[in-house]
Order: sequence, then C-alpha cells, then structure tokens
Amino acid sequence: MSRFRLGPWLIALPMLLLALATIYPLLFTTNVAMKTRRDYVLDRFALADGLRWENLRTAWTSVGMGRYFVNSLLVVTASVLLLLLLGSMAGFALSRLRFRGSTAIYLACLAGLFVPFQVIMVPLARVMADTALVDTYPGLVLVYVAQFLPFTVFLLTSYYRTIPQEVIDAARIDGNSAYGVYRRIMIPLGTPALLSVGILNALFCWNDVLMALVMMPSAEHRTLMVGVTSLRGQYSDDIPTFASGVLIAALPVLVVYLFLQRQIADGVAAGSTKG
Amino acid sequence: MPVGSAPSVRPGIPARTGESPNRRPRPGRAARAERLAPYVLIAPTVVIIVLLRLYPLLLGVNFSFTGDGDRDGAAVGFDNYRELLGDPLFRTALGNVGLLVALLPVAVAIPGLLATFIYLRVPGHRLYRGVYFFPAVLSPVIVGAIFNLLLAFDGPLNALLGGLGVGPADWLGDPDIAIFTVVGVHVWATFGMALVVFLAGFATLDPALLDAARVDGASLPRVIRHIIVPGLTRTIQFVFVTTMIGMLTSMFGLLFVMTSGGPEGSTYLPEYYIWIQQGQMNRPALASAASTVLFVIMLVVGLAQVQLLQRSGRED
Repeated sequence: MSRFRLGPWLIALPMLLLALATIYPLLFTTNVAMKTRRDYVLDRFALADGLRWENLRTAWTSVGMGRYFVNSLLVVTASVLLLLLLGSMAGFALSRLRFRGSTAIYLACLAGLFVPFQVIMVPLARVMADTALVDTYPGLVLVYVAQFLPFTVFLLTSYYRTIPQEVIDAARIDGNSAYGVYRRIMIPLGTPALLSVGILNALFCWNDVLMALVMMPSAEHRTLMVGVTSLRGQYSDDIPTFASGVLIAALPVLVVYLFLQRQIADGVAAGSTKG
Repeated sequence: MPVGSAPSVRPGIPARTGESPNRRPRPGRAARAERLAPYVLIAPTVVIIVLLRLYPLLLGVNFSFTGDGDRDGAAVGFDNYRELLGDPLFRTALGNVGLLVALLPVAVAIPGLLATFIYLRVPGHRLYRGVYFFPAVLSPVIVGAIFNLLLAFDGPLNALLGGLGVGPADWLGDPDIAIFTVVGVHVWATFGMALVVFLAGFATLDPALLDAARVDGASLPRVIRHIIVPGLTRTIQFVFVTTMIGMLTSMFGLLFVMTSGGPEGSTYLPEYYIWIQQGQMNRPALASAASTVLFVIMLVVGLAQVQLLQRSGRED
C-alpha cells in the first residue's frame, strides 16, 4: 500500500463505519431482546440494564421457538448427513472410476445446479403430495437433498480429483475393492472437504424458508425460519419478544460462524474458483 | 473424459492407470461387484437429481400449458402466458427484475472495490473480511425481521433521522421507496459473499504486476483499470452472474417478511408471484407459467455470460 497512499485512512474510515453497520443490526436486536417492553418504548437505543432472560424464555416456550428449533435441527442434521453420504459416493465415482455414461451423469449434475427451487416448485409440490411426502420430515429432507446435491457432488468431485493417484494405487495393490478405496481413502482424506461442504449445506438448509413453507404447511412441523416469519403478525406490538425469537434463530449461525468462519469462506471461494 | 465401451474398472486394477499389474483375476462374483461399483455409487444421486430436479422442470413447462380450476388438466395453449402479461402484479415483478439488472453493476462494484482495498492492505484489512461476510450467513428471514424492526415507521432509524432533523421516511410503506429498501437490505446482506469470491480471485493475481505498478508510481484508479480488472475478468463475470441469480432466487425471505409484496404490489418479484399464485391463489398452472418465464430469464443471464466469456477469450 506504500505507494498507493491516497490517504489510506480516507478509505479505512468508511470501511470501519461499514463494518459497524454490518454488525450493529444484530447487536441492536440482542440489546432489545434484553429489555422490557416499557424500556423499549421509552428509549430504543439505551443499553439494557443487565441480562434479562424472560423474553428469551417466553419466545422459547410460549411462542414455540423451542419446538421449531428441534424441528430444524432434526431436518438439517438428516439432510446434511444424507448429502455428504450421497455426494461423496457420487463424487468418488465421477472423479476416480471410469464407467459408461459418467460424462453424461456429470453434465446432468451440472444442469441440476441451474434449476432453482422456484422454477420447479409447483410440480415438486404436486409430486410430494402424490407420494404422501408433503408435510413430513422425510419429504422436506428429500427436497433439501435434491436442492443441494448438485452443488455437493460438484465440489466433492473436484476435491477428490486432487487426491494423489499413488495413494489410490497403493490401496488397490493392498487388495481394496472400489468400496474399500471409498471407505479407507476417500472418506478419511476427504474430511476437510466434507467438513466444509457439510457446514455450507447446514447453513443453506437451516436458513431456508421457501422450501419449508411450501413442503411443511402445518404449524406443528414448522422449521425455525418459518417460525420467525410467523412472529411478525403475532408479536408486532411486543418488540422485545419478537427480537428474542429472531435472536434464538440467529444464535446457532452466529456460534457456527465464530468458530468456523474460515471453512465457510473457503467453501464459498472454492465454489467460485472451481467453476 | 473418455467414455469406454465397457466399465474399465477391473478387480485389483487401479481405475485410472489402465496398465495391469501382475495380479491374478479374482473370482467372477467379486469381479462383477467391482464392475457394478461405480453404478451403485452414483445411482442414488442420479435418481434424486433426475426425479426431483430435471423431471419436474419438464413437468412444470408442460403444466404451464394447462388450465387451472374448472379447466384443470385441459390444454389451453398460451392462455396462462397471456394472462401473465396482462396481470399488473406480474408486470411489476418483471419491471422490478429490470430494476435489479440496472442496479447490478453497483451491487458488483461495491464488493469489488472493498476487496481491492482489503487486498491492498488498507489499515485494518485483517478484520474486514470476517466482519463483512457475517450477514451473508444469516437467513434472509432473520435479516428481514431485524430490518423490519429498524425500518418501522415509528422505529429506530426514523427516530435517529428525526434527531438529525431529517423527516421520517416510510421505508417499507411507500410504494416508491419500498423496493429500493428491500434491494438495499439484500445488498447489505450479501455483499460479503461476493467479497469473499473477489478475494479468492485476487489470490490468483500476479503480485509482480502490482509491484511493477508500484515502482512506476501508478495511481489507484489506474491500477484498478489496467491491472485488477483485466486480471480478474473471470471472477468479475462470475460475480455478475451469481449476484444476478441471487437477486432472482434468494430474495423471497426478505419479501415475505418485510413487505409481503406490498405496498400496492410494488415489491413483487417473479419468485414471490410464483409462491402467491401456487400457495395462496390456488393457480398452480399460472404459477408454472411464471416459473417458466423465470427460468427463461435465468437462461438468458447464463447464456449472456457464456457469450461474454467467449468474447473476452478472443480478446485475450
């Protein structure tokens, strides 16, 4: 930067302000969640006079965010595990085994990448209704898997291509079948990629609202994000409870982000450079 | 990738080398299991992608030429498309897509410039990537709910502006303002994503070029124009397309929570229109027609990208 000086601080200051603008909304929400309704009406910006958990407890129990939380956790866990299993199997086959039709299958996966849910929402809802999978957890898991599988296969295929052929050859000479190579080489050596793709998929599924809204219409099956949308009408005059519900939905993502920021950003970057 | 006439995976032979080491072939059953292995591994993925991605696409296009309600299942030709074009809400949705296209350069330039500054080590550069990227991992629903709070007519932002002597604006209730508010929030929430992609692109840039420019005393705008933009052509195009696709397919949560398409339908986008027609109005065939239009828009964006890539490839 030494020669491009243009006054680095002239740039740094707006960037610092932008950084504040990036995190302030969530800080504000957290602060509001700690206030009483009266405090909020009197002064929106003043710091809460201490940590108050009542609002969070209300949101968790009587608003039902706790149940929605468990619903989301179940669906996301099942979806991610299934995505990683199927994605790694397909990625291994596409990157390391030769078979008739592999190019066509790879292209079909790529094509799947460019079909957003909005475009196939109507027929998919109909298929789910016809197979009695609508409004069931397996149905939503299946929809998530179908939505994010092309991306998962794509990333894992390109990662598996970077594993040295010698390692695989050695495993073959030791008498491993294709399944043996998958289990003893691809899975252990592919762990960093599995972790990265797994976190991204978990975020995608956790954050989704449209698919859950269409595929899970009944109230007791709501995922957490659908639960957040229902806060608006019910708690629009009880802002601290509203903010608490939002905070409960944001907290897991915040924690994951604080610990795994690098993997998430690297996953996004990998998706772009491989493309 | 060559496609053999038969699966080339034979027992005990490394898949890619082709040269057979001196090993006795295994009994027939194991050999067959080995030959079938790739198909077993790939089958679930193929079934899921074909049945739940590609087939519904065809089904949906087909569906868009049938009727709703009384005319359920009957072929109606282009009636749904005609109705779409006549529907003011859908026309607004298309108009808003035009607005998004017009705003696209801004939505790409902001993260591009910020990434440039971070790459050139502006003071505090270590901090920014992590902070800017954070909203990108939050669900649009959460972002929308937070901004509902901040932008309410009697909410904190207007209170703050009032304190500065600026009159309150009805950020989400004024039909002339609301779409800009929603797009602004979308950009706020997603610019970190593009920033990370840009930074990954910068990692491939040859530092020697920048050093040379530094020695020559080139100004920042010149460095951007003559080194960074040409060096990052592919990245810039990738960000253009992904940002556009993001605007077309990941704003539902924001619209649903912040405006529900209003006020006066001014914040409709195709994806919201599809959802309303399918879920609320019980017009699945009409929704399918809107889906097909959205898909065509996305295809055009994708093909324009391919064109651009080929043209820049010739220029290189």
